[in-house]
Amino acid sequence: MSEQLMNILFWVLVVPGTVVLGLVASWIVRKVSALVQWRVGPPLLQPAYDVMKLMGKEILVPQEAQRIVFLAAPLVGLVGVLLLSIMLWRITLSQTAFMGDIIVAIYLMVLPSLALILGSSGSGSPHAAVGTGREMKLVMAYELPLILAFVVVIIKAAGSVGPGGQLSLAAIAQQTPALSLSGMLAFLAALLCVQAKLGFVPFDIAEAETELGSGVLMEYSGALLAVWKLMQAVMLVALPLFLGMVFLGGFHATLPAPGHVPFFAAALLVLAGARLLANRSKLMDVLSLLVFIGLCIWVGLGKYVLIVVLLILIKNTNPRVRIDQAMRFFWVYCGGALAAAVVLASIGYWWDIRWL
Amino acid sequence: MVEANSLLLIPVLLPLAVGFGLLFLPARLGMVSRMLTLIISGVCFILSVVIFTREPSVYAWSILRLPEQFGGFKLDLMLSAKPLGTFMLVFAMGFGLLISLYSLRSVGRGTARVNEYFGALLLTIGGSAGILLSNHLLFLLIFWEIVTVSLYLLIATGGRNSNFAATKSFAMIGASDAAFMLGVFLVWGLSNTFTISDVSLATTSAMPIIAFLLLMTAAITKAGALPMHTWLPTSGESAPASVMALLPAAIDKLLGIYLLIVITQGIFDLNSAALTTLLSVIGSATVIIAVMIAMVQHNLKKLLSYHAVSQVGYMILGIATGTGVGIAGGVFHMLNNAIYKCCLFLCGGAVEQEAGTPELDRLGGLGKRMPITFATCLIAALSISGIPPLNGFVSKWMIYQGVIQMGAEQGGAAARLWPVWLTCAMFASALTLASFVKLIHSVFLSRLPDGLERVKEVSVLQTLPMVILAALCVFFGVFYHVPLKTFIYPALGVEPALSTWGSGVATILIVVGIGLGILIWTIGRFSKNVRVVPTWNCGEIQPSEAMRIPGTHFYKTVSQMGGLKQLYEGQEKGYFDSYQQGGRCALVLTAFLRWLHSGVLPMYLTWVTLGLLIVLFVVCGIW
Repeated sequence: MSEQLMNILFWVLVVPGTVVLGLVASWIVRKVSALVQWRVGPPLLQPAYDVMKLMGKEILVPQEAQRIVFLAAPLVGLVGVLLLSIMLWRITLSQTAFMGDIIVAIYLMVLPSLALILGSSGSGSPHAAVGTGREMKLVMAYELPLILAFVVVIIKAAGSVGPGGQLSLAAIAQQTPALSLSGMLAFLAALLCVQAKLGFVPFDIAEAETELGSGVLMEYSGALLAVWKLMQAVMLVALPLFLGMVFLGGFHATLPAPGHVPFFAAALLVLAGARLLANRSKLMDVLSLLVFIGLCIWVGLGKYVLIVVLLILIKNTNPRVRIDQAMRFFWVYCGGALAAAVVLASIGYWWDIRWL
Repeated sequence: MVEANSLLLIPVLLPLAVGFGLLFLPARLGMVSRMLTLIISGVCFILSVVIFTREPSVYAWSILRLPEQFGGFKLDLMLSAKPLGTFMLVFAMGFGLLISLYSLRSVGRGTARVNEYFGALLLTIGGSAGILLSNHLLFLLIFWEIVTVSLYLLIATGGRNSNFAATKSFAMIGASDAAFMLGVFLVWGLSNTFTISDVSLATTSAMPIIAFLLLMTAAITKAGALPMHTWLPTSGESAPASVMALLPAAIDKLLGIYLLIVITQGIFDLNSAALTTLLSVIGSATVIIAVMIAMVQHNLKKLLSYHAVSQVGYMILGIATGTGVGIAGGVFHMLNNAIYKCCLFLCGGAVEQEAGTPELDRLGGLGKRMPITFATCLIAALSISGIPPLNGFVSKWMIYQGVIQMGAEQGGAAARLWPVWLTCAMFASALTLASFVKLIHSVFLSRLPDGLERVKEVSVLQTLPMVILAALCVFFGVFYHVPLKTFIYPALGVEPALSTWGSGVATILIVVGIGLGILIWTIGRFSKNVRVVPTWNCGEIQPSEAMRIPGTHFYKTVSQMGGLKQLYEGQEKGYFDSYQQGGRCALVLTAFLRWLHSGVLPMYLTWVTLGLLIVLFVVCGIW
């Protein structure tokens, strides 16, 4: 295939592909959560059904709302996160990177939260206003450990790929910081930050269904809510992808080699069969999930699956924390651990000790 | 030989002469001073563009020339148009023009000091033109003083308490000007010349380092960095918003950073690791501490003033890196900051003028009433928070790269500690976003409080400058290569290897995304109608005022956090205010002197006799 064709194919497929992948990922989240809680869980297409149903519903706009901000916010958030994922896909698939793109990525990651904040603030609802404050505090809280974690990665990269390359994601993705002490600490902290960015359970403080009635999203309905759901689904693709690239050595997505195609096809058949029988027996349901994950690992998305599964497990084994607890956790504990990691990484860089 | 060009004299002398005249104009002739100010600032702006586009030129205007028998002393007003000065001149004059436009409507309804305001405005314009063009340290000092005095006059035209604020600003900046003077004379003593372009000192021995520190004090006090920043928030509270937009937000930054560039890149050869570390510490401490204070402010203008302090830190940090991309980023950030901070203060002024209060608690929901102010304020707020693809993001991005590059390429303490600087700068950016979310929420979103139903958008004369500035924010962000190549790189004589972050592609993607969004939007729209409903209050029926949640409580969690709480309380009481601490020292001194001056005649006689005895002993050398 010529370069040109690949390029065109990329631009045509990247947005729908990311959205589809995001919907599948949010299905995995719901399915695994259900299995952890010993429920059956939704079918594969459930997230898509949800979005389509919401698209058809009418949109309610509160009287007090700042209309343009209220209506535009979800779209801006979705565009921001799509932009981030396009950037990451380009780096993964065609190694197109530029100096300092890691900083651009960090800043683009703020866009969805910012859109959520402005939208909820524009709705004029007091519950949403409380949610707005919480969401912003959460952003403030996790931003410090996230930055420190990236500082660790940049130091590590200066050691292995040399100065100059340390600011480009493609070069950073050549190394695996998580295999060192400081890198592991940074990875774990960044994982928790991503948990908070996604608004997953110990940190779903801004939505807090039980006390704020889904806070920031309270006044959203219909197509607008669908856009928010889509945004969250795409974030489920972009953020773990970013973590994998930065900490776990990047992705080397490959199509199966010609000799393996029959096996691949067989696996797909097993998957289809298991899905068909999933309504009858729970075993088949679990089997289909396992085959699916296996296929993901086969095409080089194993790290992605690992990160998502870790996120889901944290989500399902923790209760929600208060905002002040979250802030203290991120600033004092995560911040302290990561400050130590930065020191370790610097020592490792100066004396050339790789494992530190 | 560069050509002589008498054009350079006009933007300096014309506004100074007219401004001085306006100070004495009777109050009845307010209209005259308004029109004169607008015309002259317009002329200056056009001239500055002409000067910028021409080749570098010089002009020496002989002021004093003593005959040979009296030592042959001569004093020339030496002006020279260098790329660094002229590009800043364009922007300084541009801000002057925009502010005089804004002030036509905002200033002087019923105040008697209209002429004083406009006169001081012209003095500022002329003084800053003098600073940016002067090639003679003594004249630089004189113009510097003119700007200080006109800042005093301008702040004093505000309402209540403005006299205190004006005095405080004048005392602090005046003290730093004294340091400036000492520094100038030290430089003269070391190099025997006042001509800036002829001086080059190495910072290896004590004297040049002291001179550098003195000049640096002047620069960072003008720009408003820690620990000499406290004049800025105090005047922010009581000075008119247009004054804040002109001086502390825009021109003072230009001048302070201009001086810093001149001393770090021109007069001194900065090769001392200690000085670089000092600059980095000042930079990152300013960024993070000021933004922490800004976050918990309840007054719109005071919050903006603390941000005016905080942003200086980025510029100083960028310059301290000593790398091409870092310095270019620092200067670009100065330019960007002047643009968005000026815009923010103008928006704040518009809100205060219409709603009658700058207290965040009593504002809210104004986005519907003042859509243009809201839109421009939102753009500027996102810009200052470094949201791509706006201009604040680009310059911060360059500064971060500079910091990381410094760590990779240089030795010494400052380079070793780059993770500290980087973390401070990047984290402060998140905190900046937080405090602007609070501002936008409390002023423009949220709900309209009772009593503000009649608020209207301000006049075109006031919205026009805001719109221009907001448009510049977007333009400098998306097409960042244009200002960098036109203004920054020639001014600094560097061409750093800056790769593109593809803002063009990003913009296309955003446009495509918005197109996609409109598609989704229309699907949703045509399937069912959009319905306007009352806000859902979980079934409770409450008055609107009870349902209004201003943003002032947002960051209580932070200000109540153990450890931070005590610091915030100390800051509230002014323990960290160098002006108050200096005042306290002075009070102790006066108390001692007062104790000495008991008013008892025999006591004074005893002192006089004692003193006389000591003098006698010393003179006669008895020991």
